[in-house]
Amino acid sequence: MRAFVFTDPALTSRAGQFVWLEMNVDDERNAAHRERLSVEALPTFFVLDATDESVVMRREDGMTVAEMDAFLEEAGRAASGKGASSPAEAALLRADRLNGERKKAEAAAAYREALDQAPPGWPPYGRAVVALLFLHPSLNEEAKCLALAREALPRLTGSPASVMVARSGLDCALGLPKDEAGRVAAVAEMEAATRKTLAPPGVGAAADDVSSSYLSLIQARKAAGDAAGATRDAEAWAAFLEAQAAAAKTPEQRAVFDSHRLSAYLELKQPERAVPMLEQSEADLPGDYNPPARLAVAWFEMKKLDEALAASNRALPKVAGPRRIQVLQRRSDIFAARGDAAAAREALAQALACAESLPPGQRSERTIQALKKRLEAPPAKPER
Amino acid sequence: MNRHRWTAPALGLLVAGALAAPAAAADIEKALPFVADDYGKALAEARSQKLPLFIEAWAPW
Repeated sequence: MRAFVFTDPALTSRAGQFVWLEMNVDDERNAAHRERLSVEALPTFFVLDATDESVVMRREDGMTVAEMDAFLEEAGRAASGKGASSPAEAALLRADRLNGERKKAEAAAAYREALDQAPPGWPPYGRAVVALLFLHPSLNEEAKCLALAREALPRLTGSPASVMVARSGLDCALGLPKDEAGRVAAVAEMEAATRKTLAPPGVGAAADDVSSSYLSLIQARKAAGDAAGATRDAEAWAAFLEAQAAAAKTPEQRAVFDSHRLSAYLELKQPERAVPMLEQSEADLPGDYNPPARLAVAWFEMKKLDEALAASNRALPKVAGPRRIQVLQRRSDIFAARGDAAAAREALAQALACAESLPPGQRSERTIQALKKRLEAPPAKPER
Repeated sequence: MNRHRWTAPALGLLVAGALAAPAAAADIEKALPFVADDYGKALAEARSQKLPLFIEAWAPW
């Protein structure tokens, strides 16, 4: 999003319609705002009424430039306080407000009401579906999520939103109880729908969306016990990301794909494929902790522990906030694999100290408890 | 379920969600005049200009 959408001149005309704030949720200065806004996924976009700081609209997940433009158009209208022009729009405005207040069940009911009243060709239809598809799983309503995906897909065929809708249907089908009648058929149905949205020439969805769909397909193949199929999908995932990276116009745009490419290569058990791209990113973006932190992961998986430790050494001085905990945990793994139990424990203790020092909004009791549990456990035996 | 919840592919967990922006993406030339990490300043500007406040919540991973 940051490297692609917000750099697009097509959005320049919106500049004077809002005041624009970018909020790095890992930055301690933003911890209280992150907590108040209940940021649960990244990216999340908000439009606030500045007079009372109420959330007028909220949207999770990436968007294309066109989707962002439509979001801004709608948000601007909603923030202006102009009344709704139809029952569907009134329900949608209410749903957005409730969603902004994180009254999830009430928001879901209002989105449902909006969709039930939506006339054919209603422009916000796709956005309302996406919002509701985010809410259902968070309310443990996988069956409703699946039903909504089935209902909406025919109306969204060929649109960028169809990628997220099909994938959500697949994720929700996979999330159904394993013994539920119809689960296998639902997974197969939604897997086919997801594959259809990815088939050439594509539907112009954001790369985030497409990439996430490959991961869902891999999980579906694994759930079916089809390891070879999972590997084929992982190869397709890696190829998609490599093509996206090759088409990038700047180092920042190319590095956007590093994280998912590393995940794809790890899925393929080919971590060595990540090394050249990450070394390039480290050279291009010397202030960024991510490339050396990811290199530490790749080298570790390759059992190249000296290189992994060296990469960790380079990442550590550059990382602060919640992500420092992950870097330190990986560092502990590296030390443990080298047979240095004392250093492994020290890195874990540093991770715990870091976790306990974070302010509300960044602090995670679950992480703290997990680190304490790891520290209480006997030292792991070295891997080599 | 693989989506939506604090994804961390950067460090090798096999989960994915939004593609991560590199930390340097904060310095990318944008088409819009973003205020960086200063909620109070942005809110004051929005109030004085009588404009809504747009927020992008992101992280460099």
